[in-house]
Order: sequence, then C-alpha cells, then structure tokens
Amino acid sequence: MASVRKSRSESLFIRYLILGAWALFCLAPVLWFLSVGLRPRVEIITPRPIYWPTFSLDAWHMIWEDWPMAKYLRNSVLAILGSVLIDLVLAIPAAYSLSRYTYRGRDDIGFYILSTRMMAPAIVAIPIFFLFRNMGLLDTIWALMIIYAAVNLSIVTWIIRSYMLDIPKELEDAARTDGASDMRILWEIIIPAVLPGIITAAVIAMIFAINEFLFTLLIASTPDAYTMSVALANFTGGSDGVIYNAIALVAFLAFVPVFLVVVAIQKHLSRGLTMGAVKG
Amino acid sequence: MSDTTPSRAGAASVASARVRPVRLRRRSRRLKVWFPYLLVAPAVIYLLLITLYPGIYAIIQSFYAVKFGPWRPVGFDNYIQLWGDYQFWAAMRNTLIIGSISLILQCFFALLLAFYAYRDPWVQGWRIIFLVPMLFMPSAVAFIYKLAFLDGRVFSDILIRLGLIDYNLAIQSSTWMSRMVLIIADVWQWTPFLFIIFVAALQGQDEEVEEAARLDGASWWSIFWNISLPLMKPVIAVALILRAIDITTMFANVFIITKGGPAFGTETISYFIYRTGFKSFNFGYASAASVIMLILTIIIAQVVVKRAFVSSRS
Repeated sequence: MASVRKSRSESLFIRYLILGAWALFCLAPVLWFLSVGLRPRVEIITPRPIYWPTFSLDAWHMIWEDWPMAKYLRNSVLAILGSVLIDLVLAIPAAYSLSRYTYRGRDDIGFYILSTRMMAPAIVAIPIFFLFRNMGLLDTIWALMIIYAAVNLSIVTWIIRSYMLDIPKELEDAARTDGASDMRILWEIIIPAVLPGIITAAVIAMIFAINEFLFTLLIASTPDAYTMSVALANFTGGSDGVIYNAIALVAFLAFVPVFLVVVAIQKHLSRGLTMGAVKG
Repeated sequence: MSDTTPSRAGAASVASARVRPVRLRRRSRRLKVWFPYLLVAPAVIYLLLITLYPGIYAIIQSFYAVKFGPWRPVGFDNYIQLWGDYQFWAAMRNTLIIGSISLILQCFFALLLAFYAYRDPWVQGWRIIFLVPMLFMPSAVAFIYKLAFLDGRVFSDILIRLGLIDYNLAIQSSTWMSRMVLIIADVWQWTPFLFIIFVAALQGQDEEVEEAARLDGASWWSIFWNISLPLMKPVIAVALILRAIDITTMFANVFIITKGGPAFGTETISYFIYRTGFKSFNFGYASAASVIMLILTIIIAQVVVKRAFVSSRS
C-alpha cells in the first residue's frame, strides 16, 4: 500500500513538473513580449537584453497617433465579419444538403469542399492577385472578405455538417409529416439545433481569418486595406528598424478579444479544429 | 474582366434558382431531386472560382514567360528550368526538413502533455494556458521570435547567463540555427492545436475499460500505450494531416524572421513561389512551381486525406 502511494505521489510530481514546464514555455515569451510593449524603444535592442525595463506608454501613443491603427482595426473587423457572414450564408445550406440528403455524388462534393482546405495559399496567390487586379479590387477590404471567406468555407461547412449529422432524423420527420417544407425545416428546426456548431464554426473561421497572412500581404499593398496582421509586418520604420514595442501592443490588442471568445467556446474547440472529425 | 463575367452570371442564376424550388416543390418532383444539389451549389461554385479558376490560370501561365508586358509562350521551358534550379530543390528540401522535425516534436509534446493533463482536475485551466500561443497572429509570433533570437539576442543572453556559451550566437548566419528558430516558433504556437484535440479524444474514451485495466494493476503508461493510443489512431491521423498542411504552407515566419536566409537555407516552397513571383516578377516561373505544388497537393489529398477523414467518421 505504501509503495502504491509513493509511486502515485511521484507520478503527480512528474505530471506537474511537465505541465508546469510547458506552461512556463508558453507564457514566458508572452509576458516578456508584453513587457516589450510597455517599455521605451531605447530599452528594446540593447547590447545585453533588459529584463526589468522602465514602464512607458510610448508605444500605445504611437500606434494610435502616428499610425492609422483605428483604420487597420476597422479593416480587420469588417473583412473578418463580412467573410464569416458569406461563409455562413453559403455553408449552412451546403452542410444541410451534405448531411440530410442522400444523392449521387454527395460524398465527392463533400470531399471536394474539404480538399480546398489543403490548397496552399501560395499555389493560387498569383492568379488571385491578377484576378483581383483585373476586377479593380486590389487594396480593398472586399477582396479580403472574398478571400477569407474562401479560405474558411471548407472548415465552416464541415463543422456545421458534423453537428447536423447529430440531429436525430425523427425530429425532421415529425415536422415533415406536419407538412413543413424543407426550407422551413432547415430554418426552424435544424438551424436552432446546431447553433453551437454554427457559433463554433464562426469563431474558428474568425481565428483563421485574423491569422491569414500571405493573401492579405499581396492584396493589401497600401495602408487603405491593411489589416492588423499585415500592418504589423510593415511596422518597420525604415532606417529606424523594427518598432517592436508598437508591434507587441498591437499583437495583444488583437489577442485579447480572440482569447475571450475562444475561452467561451472552449468545449467545442477540438471538434471545430478537426472540422468535426473529433467529437470533444 | 472577361473571365469574371460568366461566373457572376452563374452565381446569379444559382441564387435565383435557390428560391424557386420552395414554391414549386409540391408541383415538380424533378425539382425535388435537384433540391440538395441546389443547396450545395453556391458553396461549390464559390470554391471552384477560388481554386479551379486559379488552378487553370496557373497551369496556362506556367507555359509562358510572364514578366512585364505581353506573355511569351515558352513551352515546357519553365518546368525544365525548375528541374535544374537548385533553389527550388532547396525550398522543397527545407519545407520537408523544417516541416517534419516540427511536426514530430509537436506530436510528441502534445501526446505527452495530453497524457498528463486529461485526468488532471485542472485540465480546463491547463488547456486555457496552453492555448495562449495559438491565439496570437502569426506575424506577431514571428516578431516575438525574431526579437528573442535575432535582434534582441535574449536566447543567447540566457545561455550565457546559464554558463553554457560565452559569446553571442550568430544565429542569422547559421542554416541550422535559423531553421531551429522557425521550428521552435512553430512548435510553440501549434503544439496546443494537437494538444486540445488529443485531450478531447482521451476524455471521450470509455472510462470503464480504463477502470478495468487499472484494477488489473496496469499502470497509466501501459493503459495509454496499449489501449488509448491505438484507439486514438484515426484522431491522431486527422490532426496530424491538418497540421502538416499548415506547416508545409508556412510563410509568415519565414517572411518575417529569416527571409529565407542564410543562403536559401530556410526558404520554404511558399516563400520560393512568393519570391520568384512577387519579388523577381517572374510570374510564369512561379506558376510552374505552383502547378507542381498543386499536383502534389491533389495526390496527397486523394491518397492520405480522404482515407483519414473517411475512417475518422465511422
């Protein structure tokens, strides 16, 4: 009995050692980067790094006063919300079709939608760049919206499809015998039942849209359409070098809302991240 | 402009067609058969425009020399040149090296952490802490690591303080150390992706089997190795595939931290396409590289991904 207890406390020690070490590895760079955001520029790149800097809000003033940060923020929010809206409008009927009907070619269509997730942005970047240039959409948030929606459509469709597959067929059949049309069933029964799935899909699409980098870099070549993600890469003040403290604050500005939303849906996260393949 | 008009017309007709079947449903059985296709059509058309159209465009462009001005047909020249281009092969090799090391490390750490975390009373808390790196924008993560390893030399400084080295590491001029920075940044940011999925899979497993094995005196480790892990195989496959896709398309870190250097030692295939296309303006050549990537993607999608997603569903 004693030996069992001993091995148990030992394994607890190892457990917390490993989990604690990883937590430190996760958070130390984040906290250090926060300290970079809250220090004056002269204390960032020094012969030896400074770990206890003087507190300064220089960067905070800089991002709002010297840069059109409010505009970048607005661009990001509009492009992302617009893209999620496009995704939901397209994905909900598609997911309904893929999950509740049996027809020829259904699985191939479903797999085609899934396979677009595998397309590297670099493969389609050049044609898309020319397409948008010919349409006069370069440097507009409309182009970003269209692209983000395309990047995420496969994920959103598959997540919602996975949640729709869980709804018992009887629920639908009961409504159908009452004479409800397919569209009414979708609108009044299916959508309310899969609302958690729809929200999960929207949040995951939002994360990936915020993270999108290559397309945004190519499409948004002037500050008119910069998003936060790409604005960051351009915070290099020429001869001044990279302005790290401003970058750090913008990074946290984008992080906080995403973090809060993700914590709110964390139960559904594993299912969302695997496009419904894993039920958490 | 001309190539966009038919697509718009197509989208419009589908939009109007979607409204019709509701009204005519009772009158026409044929429409009932088409109804599911009509529901899925807008999404498929949208994706075809964004993938198939560019794919065909890239294939055509890859047979031309496209710089500024008119396209000049060159046959297979771009492909022949690509075959002999050591930078292209270096990019392929780098993508493979950085990607596979990164993926193996992430999978190892995620399994280890999931194994310890899933039966911990504070699993919720661990999950939130471990999630943090994943929620930063890739460009932000790239700058964290650029500052820590290159510009700010924090990494070197810590090693000096620990007495492991006595001068600053010249990370920028070492291929392997530059690759290491990219790998660490990726492992740091994306291990939680796998961790969250693995924890969910472990938590979803039948507790009774575990309990029975436990009463027979099996250790947690042997339960994990002999029971949980085999059951998790389909989940691990799906998660690793999703991760592998994103790793092979790694771009922001390369763009910000190393710019592909030193001497093309960290240039990934995505960065290669970006550089030949948008820095050298050699669009036809970059398109040829895109087409090769596209072919590889289709093969991998058909062989690996289809199987993984189909098996995970059952």
